[in-house]
Amino acid sequence: MIETITATAAEPFPLDVVVIDDEEMFGEGCRQTLEMGGYRSAVARDGLRGLDLVRAARPSVVLLDLKMPGMDGIEVLSRLSQAEPGIVPIVVTGHGTVDSAVESMKGGAFDFLTKPFEPEKLLESVRRGMSLSAVRKAKVTAKEKPADAAPATVQDKHNLLLRGLDVLGEAYSLGLDKRELIDELSYLEAEAKYHAESLGHIKKKERAILDIRHDLQQADAIMEKYDFRKGALIQVLLDVQEKLRWLPRHILHWIGARLNVSAREIYTIANFYEAFSLELRGKHCVQVCNGTACHVRGSSELLSRFSVMLGIEPGTTDSKQEFTLETVHCMGCCALAPVAQIDNQYYHDPSKKKLEKIIESFASEENIPCQA
Amino acid sequence: MPSVRTAADLADLRTETLAAQKSTPVWITVCTGTGCCAYGAEGLADGFESEIQKRGLRRKVGLRRTGCHGFCERGPLVVIEPKGICYLHAQTIDIPTIMDKTVLGDEVVTRLLYLDEETGKRVQTATEIPFYKHQKRILLENNVLIEATSILDYIGVGGYSALAKALSQMTPDAVIQEVKKANLRGRGGAGFSAGVKWETTRNASGAPKYAIVNGDEGDPGAYMDRSLLEGNPHSVLEGLIIGAYAMGATEGFIYVRQEYPLARKHAQMAIDRAREYGFLGANILGSGFDFDVTIHRGAGAFVSGESSALVNAIEGHVGEPRPKYTHLSEKGLWGKPTCLNNVETWANVPFIVNRGADWFRSMGTANSKGTKIFSLVGKVKNSGLVEVPMGITLRDIIFKIGGGLPAGKKFKGVQTGGPSGGVLPEALLDLPVDFDELDKVGSMMGSGGMIVMDEDTCMVDMARYYVNFLAHESCGKCVPCREGLRQMLTILDRIAGGQGKEGDIELLEELSEFMEMASLCALGKSAPNPVRSSIRYFRHEYEAHIREKRCPAGACTAMIQYEIDQTKCSHPPCGACARACAVEAIQKADGAAYMVFQEKCIKCGSCYTACPDKFHAVRKVPVVWEAVWQFPATPVKTEITV
Repeated sequence: MIETITATAAEPFPLDVVVIDDEEMFGEGCRQTLEMGGYRSAVARDGLRGLDLVRAARPSVVLLDLKMPGMDGIEVLSRLSQAEPGIVPIVVTGHGTVDSAVESMKGGAFDFLTKPFEPEKLLESVRRGMSLSAVRKAKVTAKEKPADAAPATVQDKHNLLLRGLDVLGEAYSLGLDKRELIDELSYLEAEAKYHAESLGHIKKKERAILDIRHDLQQADAIMEKYDFRKGALIQVLLDVQEKLRWLPRHILHWIGARLNVSAREIYTIANFYEAFSLELRGKHCVQVCNGTACHVRGSSELLSRFSVMLGIEPGTTDSKQEFTLETVHCMGCCALAPVAQIDNQYYHDPSKKKLEKIIESFASEENIPCQA
Repeated sequence: MPSVRTAADLADLRTETLAAQKSTPVWITVCTGTGCCAYGAEGLADGFESEIQKRGLRRKVGLRRTGCHGFCERGPLVVIEPKGICYLHAQTIDIPTIMDKTVLGDEVVTRLLYLDEETGKRVQTATEIPFYKHQKRILLENNVLIEATSILDYIGVGGYSALAKALSQMTPDAVIQEVKKANLRGRGGAGFSAGVKWETTRNASGAPKYAIVNGDEGDPGAYMDRSLLEGNPHSVLEGLIIGAYAMGATEGFIYVRQEYPLARKHAQMAIDRAREYGFLGANILGSGFDFDVTIHRGAGAFVSGESSALVNAIEGHVGEPRPKYTHLSEKGLWGKPTCLNNVETWANVPFIVNRGADWFRSMGTANSKGTKIFSLVGKVKNSGLVEVPMGITLRDIIFKIGGGLPAGKKFKGVQTGGPSGGVLPEALLDLPVDFDELDKVGSMMGSGGMIVMDEDTCMVDMARYYVNFLAHESCGKCVPCREGLRQMLTILDRIAGGQGKEGDIELLEELSEFMEMASLCALGKSAPNPVRSSIRYFRHEYEAHIREKRCPAGACTAMIQYEIDQTKCSHPPCGACARACAVEAIQKADGAAYMVFQEKCIKCGSCYTACPDKFHAVRKVPVVWEAVWQFPATPVKTEITV
């Protein structure tokens, strides 16, 4: 098999790059370009041989032609990514179509180059492939998360990338030019962040649009109940508040348009009445009664107890959107003063210990809507 | 569904219902008003239900979940009919005992009976309990007897017979004359004659006419409307239908606060049932009179309880009051003649129609007839809802019915009329309670909140509380109310915070006078009442705050701090105070004794209540206000040399 390798026998393993291409001239051209860039490389003439060479030499990057006699590039690609997860494949082809590019990327190609290309372009691509490979290899050897276990969320992906960068930094510091390393790292980091963010933004936008559509549908169902009467505005808003736990901007504008009420009026109403909230409330509404009877019997003390236990000021919601703490003027259970209400459950002057238990029981329950 | 078409149908239905009820010999009545529910009444009622089922007693024992019985302080309340044995503080574990002894046997469970502290005896029935004995329960009486959601229960106690009588035997004018003769005055606070209001609405031109139930019970400390709507919604509805018939209204609204979900639910159920039975809708009881009712939920604004503001709210606008150049009875909801009355006012109507104006006039004083429900709350032993004839003295309500103040505390004052009312001192305890007498002494009837205060309540703090409430609730439309309240609050904050100045009291008085003269609606006009009356009767407390920087009641947190009296603390310390502290401000200072670390303390008072009575070691101590260093009065002269 060695005779198929155009590299001289004197050149030692391991290699940095393996080129798999049936066009002899092109393969040789690549090899020379790579040599000038400081990479050790060898060329194989077809897929099967190429895979053997890869197994023997364990390079970091594989340059791969798509159209070859026998086993074609896509097939090689899939075998390659199964067998050697640390290796970064770069597809090089003379038949650059969108379909083939997509297919290559799906198959795990890191980059897609169309012949002919500038030598600089090749070197740049290989350089990035090398650093990615270093990350992958380091990960495999460090036995961190297996590479094929897909991280669950965008945030996780992002974190993983950043962690990979750390590993890369270590690997490079063993013997590479410092400035190059720093450039590489900052470039990679920026790219990783950008990808993670834009992916996150797109996902978020998609979700937000779906959410908004859902909200509007709900609002429509409520308005239909009142025959889209203008006079039922307050009742509509009350129902929406009950369903969504607040009155988001899009809802106010939507309802205004549907019921033919001006934005000014609808905002005045939403601000005027206590029951409406223009900010998202927590899942559970903790209301401490501050009626006169409760005030006389120490409701302000009960309120400060709640405030300390929940870690939030009255009138605010905690960061996890679990609890909203607020005071109300009178709940009409004056004989039980001082009294507090959590989601329609009344509590008569709970002690610190009891409070802890109550809050815990609510925190563990999920999805109980907060009644305004 | 038996649709009731005539008065005779109704009478038949009542006989049938009563016969059906009679076939069950024993009834267990569990109060499921909001107060008792907070004590676990729902679970108790469920427990009784499964126990009855388990023992196979469904034919012999009936269960009723009723509205508020009034004695909320001692809930959950259970009454076993027909003997009327009343158990207080009943718990789920008591169910088997109650079933064995009282329901199936002929004994009573002594420990659950009311203990009369004066005589030391336990009493069996509700009527013997002083809390109930001195009341005259007419509107609230049926609350105990019926299941709020059951229209048949209501018909069983004579419900809708007044409606049948009015529609079949009386002309609308006759109904108005009867109500006018009874001198039924508005229970919402102002005390305007309901009959006169109805008459103006009837005579006003324009159609349709509207009749509205005002259930926007915004007064903090009052909850009688809630209890009526929750416990006996049909009585309010029947009154409304009769009133609508009298004034020729064809559409009605019940305005219920968002904060009262149960009241809303029960009122809605009452409307649905009444419609099914033919008491609402077209051609009611075959009289040709059409009327229907919808519920409107209030979205939480005190000022919306004001009649013109409420009308605005129903129209879907901001609930701000309108200037009163024209009355609502002429130009109200959507510009049509509209009549609003309070929940309690409407609930009185069926009784007046059924029993006659003369019966109603037999109760009360010269100008205030009938009974009034008060929510007797605050620092009083038996708090709850009490219904008394007009003219009873404050002393009777607080000491005879309410049983006086708990823990041997001294009476200081009683606040009536909510934020628009005033506080009355001990010297006025023998005042007969009616619309005009309370007005004379600077308070008002209001919707019936009655908050008792003891020596631990600070009058400056109370005034501040009300002004704060009103400043928050002022709609801001007119300047005197909006700015006046804000300034008042600043001054009161200053006084309560230990920064009061000479002249502050006079400034408050001046502001009060101005606001009363210049405000647009009743909210602003009556807003200074709490401040005025507290200055009038408790001026010395204001002076103590300003001159001595001392809160006599020990309630203003800026002027007190908590300390542990080491001589009284137990040895070794029990640590109850430290466990109760939410911010860990109480710690062992030198290994043995607990101390309050003032910089951490939030003055919540948990330690004060947690300290066992036998030690009484945690105490409130006035903060010593050290003289604040000030710049020298005369500027220091410096010589300037050139």
